[in-house]
Order: sequence, then C-alpha cells, then structure tokens
Amino acid sequence: MKKSGQVTIFIILGVIIVAIAVLIFLFYPQIKSTLGFGEQSPSGYMQNCIEDSLTESIQKVSVQGGSLEPQHYFLYKDQKLEYLCYTEEYFLTCVMQQPMLKSHIEAEIKTNIQKDVGTCLESLKENYRKLGYNVQADEKDFNVELLPKFVVLNLGNSFSLTKGEETQNYETMKISVNSDMYELISIANSILNWEASYGSAETTTYMNYYHNLKVEKIKQSEGTTVYILTNRDSEDKFQFASRSIAWPAGYGEI
Amino acid sequence: MKNKLILIVLGMFLISLVSAVGVSYCCEKTKAGAECQNTEQTNCDAAFRSAPTSCESTAYCKLGCCYDSTEGVCMKNTPQITCQKNKGVWQDSASCEVPQCELGCCLIGDQAAFVSKQRCKRLSSIYNLEINFRTDVSNEIQCILSTTSDIKGACVFEKEFETNCKFITKDECFKSGETNVSFHENFLCTADELGTVCAKTEKTTCVEGRDEAFFVDSCGNVANIYDASKIKDPNYWKEVVTKADSCNPGASNANSASCGNCDYYLGSTCKTFQRGIDRIKASYGDNVCRDLGCTFEGKKYDHGETWCASAKGNLENLPGSRYFRMVCYNGDVLVEPCADYRQEICIQSDIDGFLTAACRANRWQDCNSQTKKKYCENKDKRDCKWIESGINNLQCVPEFAPGFNFWDEAKSESSDVCSKANVECTITCEKSLSGKEECESSPSGCGDEDGLSASWETKMNQVCGALGDCGVKKNYLGQAGFNEIGGED
Repeated sequence: MKKSGQVTIFIILGVIIVAIAVLIFLFYPQIKSTLGFGEQSPSGYMQNCIEDSLTESIQKVSVQGGSLEPQHYFLYKDQKLEYLCYTEEYFLTCVMQQPMLKSHIEAEIKTNIQKDVGTCLESLKENYRKLGYNVQADEKDFNVELLPKFVVLNLGNSFSLTKGEETQNYETMKISVNSDMYELISIANSILNWEASYGSAETTTYMNYYHNLKVEKIKQSEGTTVYILTNRDSEDKFQFASRSIAWPAGYGEI
Repeated sequence: MKNKLILIVLGMFLISLVSAVGVSYCCEKTKAGAECQNTEQTNCDAAFRSAPTSCESTAYCKLGCCYDSTEGVCMKNTPQITCQKNKGVWQDSASCEVPQCELGCCLIGDQAAFVSKQRCKRLSSIYNLEINFRTDVSNEIQCILSTTSDIKGACVFEKEFETNCKFITKDECFKSGETNVSFHENFLCTADELGTVCAKTEKTTCVEGRDEAFFVDSCGNVANIYDASKIKDPNYWKEVVTKADSCNPGASNANSASCGNCDYYLGSTCKTFQRGIDRIKASYGDNVCRDLGCTFEGKKYDHGETWCASAKGNLENLPGSRYFRMVCYNGDVLVEPCADYRQEICIQSDIDGFLTAACRANRWQDCNSQTKKKYCENKDKRDCKWIESGINNLQCVPEFAPGFNFWDEAKSESSDVCSKANVECTITCEKSLSGKEECESSPSGCGDEDGLSASWETKMNQVCGALGDCGVKKNYLGQAGFNEIGGED
C-alpha cells in the first residue's frame, strides 16, 4: 500500500515535469522577453525606449493645429489652436498660413523627440556594452514620416555589435506607432482649401465619405472657426483654427 | 507767394491727416504672427517687410497656389513667401488652376480618390500598388462609382496533409506560395464540392471598410452577409451572394436579430453588440447592425439628418441670440453655431420627413433702403419684411434683426442704425374757457392728455426692435436691458 502510494507521487511528479517542459518549449520566447533576461534587438530596444515620447509628441501637436508652440493661435478651451488659414479682414477669404502641413508636423515632432532619441541611443549603446559587446555606431540624422495608419521614425544610425568572433550589423531602424494623423491631415488640407475658396467647409460631406470620422465645426463670435477632426475608432484627434469670411457685428466698424 | 505757402501747408496737413486715419499696409508678418495680412502699419512686425499697399500688389505676399511636389497636394490662396519658405512650388493662380493640380480619378486597389496625378502616384507608392490615373472621369462621384474590387474566391491548397482554403483574390491566391493551389472564383471556402477543412459556423464579424455583418467559417474566412434564416443552408455557404440579393436589401436593418445587411447611408453599421447601446442581440454571433440615429430633446432623428435648433431668443431675435444647426451622425448630435450677431441664419427643409439644414448669410443690409413693398419682400435678394405703419418712411426692416456690439461704443454703429427709428411725439393741450382740456398729438394718435399712447409706443418699439438690437428689449436669457441716462440705470 505504502509502495503503491510512492509510485503514484512519482507519476504525478513526472507528469508535472513533462508539462513544465512542454510549456517552456511552447512559450519560451514570450517567457524570455517577459522576464527581461533576453537580449533585445537594437530596434526592439529603441521601439520600447522612444515609443511613449513619440506618441506624446504626436498628441501634443495634433491638438494644437500641428505646432509645438503655436505662434498665431486662437485660444479654445485653454488650448492654443494654430491658425492654418487666416485673414484679419472682414468679408474676405483667408490666406493660407501653413501650406505644407504634413512636412511641418513631421519637423515639429522631430524637434520634440530629438533629445529623447539621443538619450535612447546612448542608453542602447551602454546596455550592449554592459552585456559584453563592442558597440560601433555610425551617428546619422533621423527623420519622422507620417504614413497611413502609422507615424514612422527612421533612424539612419547603423550599428555593429561584436562579441568574440561574432558581429551583428544593423543598418537602419524603423520605429513606428499607430496613428491616424496622416488621414486627419489630408482631411484638414481639404477643409482648408474650402475655407480659402468659400469661407467655410461642409462637415457632412466628410462624414459621408469617411464613416469613422467625426468633424466638428464651431464658429466663434469674432469670426474664427474651430475644426475638430476625430477618428471614432482610434479616437485620434486633429484640431485647428481658421478665420475666413468673417462677419462683423451689424454693418461692421464705422 | 503767400497763396503757394498756404497750399503747401494745406497739402502737408492733408497728408498728415491721411496717414493719421491709418492707411492699410501689407505686412509680411504681423506682431500677432499672421503672415501676409492687410492691416494698419502699427500691427506689422518690424523685423519683416511691409508696404503701404495691398498684399496683392506686392511680390512677396501675392496669393497663388502652393504645390507640394512630393505629396502632390495643392493649397489655394497661399502667399509666395509662405510657400517658398516651406519648400513648396508657388504658382501664380490663387485658385490652383494649374496643370499639376488638375484632378483625375485615382484607382488604388478597390478604393478610389479624386486627386492630382502626383497625389495618385504618391498614394500608389505608399500602398505599394500599381498606378491607375483616369483623366476621363470628371467628378468625384463618378470616380467613386468607377471602383471595381478584384473578384474574390476560394483559394484551395494543400497544407499539412489537409485541404485548406482562403477567401482571397486570384492574384493573392497564386502569389501565396502554397502548394497544389487552385482558385474557384466567387466560391466560398465552405462549398461542399471543394472538400476543404473549412466549415460553417454560427460566428459573425465586422469587416473594415464594409458596413455589413458577415458570417465567418471555421478557418476564419469571411463568408456571406449574416442571415439567421440561412445559417444551415448549404447553398448560402457555397457561393458569394451580393448585397442586393442578401436579406432585406434597401433597409438599414438596424437592431435586427436576424439580418446583418447594414447600410451606413440608411443609418446602420456593423458593430459588436453592446448592452445599453444596441436594443436587440443578434440570434447568432456577437455583431449587430447598430442604429446610427440620434435622440435629441426626446425626438428621434435619423443618421445624416441636420436641423435648426430652437435656441433661446431666436423667435424674437433678441440680443445675444444666435442660430444653430444640429447634425446627427453616428449616434452623436453635433452642434454647429451659425455666425454670431445673427449674421447667419439657419434654414431647414423637410424632404419626405428627412430634415436638412444649413447656415446661410442673413441678407438684411439693404432692407432700410427699400421703398417699395415688392422689392422689400423679394426673397431671392434679401431677408426683409414690410411694415405698413413704419416710422420716418422706414417700412422695410430686416426679417431677422441683426445683432450689434452696442457695448463697444468706439466700434459699434448701433446708435446710428437705431436712431433711424427715432420719433418724437408732441402733445399740445389747450384749456378752453369752460375749463375743458383739448389735446392734439403729432404724429396723430401718439398720445393724449394722459401722455403717450401705450399702443403707439408698442408699435414704434416693434419697428425700432426690427432694425437690430435697438429699442426696449430683454436679452436672450430674459434679462431686461438698461439705459444709462444722467447716471441712473
């Protein structure tokens, strides 16, 4: 009786060991990265390091009409909204203020994350050195690109990691975050062309074409129009101000 | 000699007077940061150029078309300096009537966009698809209608000793790199004759870019539009059934438990069922046609309907009141204010119960100068009304009284406009020898021995109030106005 009990315990132990072995075999890569003792690729490291800063920069410029520090803005709910099309006069269509909106936003995001990219690159090198690698990095500039569904950070730096006889080369790194900024900017450009031609844009036209888009148009008393574009699924937002064909009170100034 | 001196002095005086009045300058940049504005010289940023002329007459601020040669985007009304500073290509056409900005139909996969040729090239490169730019399509609607999606079908292949299947296009099928591939156009992976491992399920899914809820097979392939009555029908799981031949076409099918033939333009779209938002759960699967209509102030509006709000003080056009357009889209009610000071009004039409509204200019400006009723009431030209008993020959008044910034005395013309309706009532009374008092008023009937006639006063105030924010009124919040005379309110 005692002997058969011991056999049962050994069988149970055996089953548990086999189960653990199977689990490790199946999920090893995930377990490895979760526990943090694995060596990440340089692009994986950079993605983790810069992702939050990149997302934050995108959000910051998108609620301020595409600028980090709006120069000429309308204050809407304590938020500075850059005028992308503006006229100081009454009854006239607006003058375009930011015709190359996409490249302007790309430059603004780049400026905002420049410092963080540098810090992340330094910590990347430091980490690999600690792991016993000889790190050789080619310092190059980076650029930010807005693409459909993504914002991509292209790092031009090439890396060479050497440990013993083995050398790994990494030419370029791409860090991307999900964002509908590209789509929202395309719609903003279309709205701005309407503002410059007719003084106003019809919001329902855009909501008919783009089923997941919300376009809010809020006219202010002094003639400014605030536009808020929101993707209903991702909740990404782009908001800006325009002043075109403004009406004065009464007949206007005497 | 003396006369010449007088003329010179007078000339200098006039010049100084003109400059004091404030000639419009073209500022390359204003102190506020706006580019290329016609404004007073004092507003110009001294670090940038300025000229005592209109911006259109300067080379640097002349408006034209700014062309982004990389993205293929054209921006209208752009000053030359602003475009070139941002590395755009500037062309002398403010409305962008230049060859680079000519629009055509860009067909990319099963999508279409009415854009410039360069924009089409850019989109094609982004999506890594072949360019198909059609200049024979002249408008956006025609362009969208000309899209043709590649025909899909069952792509059958062998994998791990099993007959597998994917519901994809022919091109994707033969580029998939699988072995023993055969393509069956318009067939579903669940067709019995294909003998694949993919089987019917009771699951449904929403597909990006489509409104309808679809069945999915056990391999995860999208099948036909969800129809509870055909869940076990082998024919419905055999070949592709068009939207028009699916359940209840031409209706929104919102909150239908049995039909997933949703239609965005009819007010529904496929969404995962959410208690509290969707009224009915589908008989099979987790997805329903969500009703995109809205409820506002207890009234139901369809998705896409726009209507004029009944805002405070609108009926009487009281000071501070404003017109608003309401928009119902995707279950949300959006508020779009029309221009303030009632310079825009909201108009609404009802077509078979579907409301459509818009903000449009309030054409009140030339009402007072109309002297004939038929011109006054010409609705094609102006928004005015004729008052038979007018004041001071003022019978044509705005139908929607405009607002004035009467609190800003320096800028407001309210006193000038309102004073047009000023009228004096003179009551002359004579006491006869018998002691009886006889009074005459001018204009006739404006008063008697007891003072001003209440009915005359009301009538005059109505004319006065119709001119704008004039006369005795309460504001849109119901607060009475006040008049500061002799330091008293």
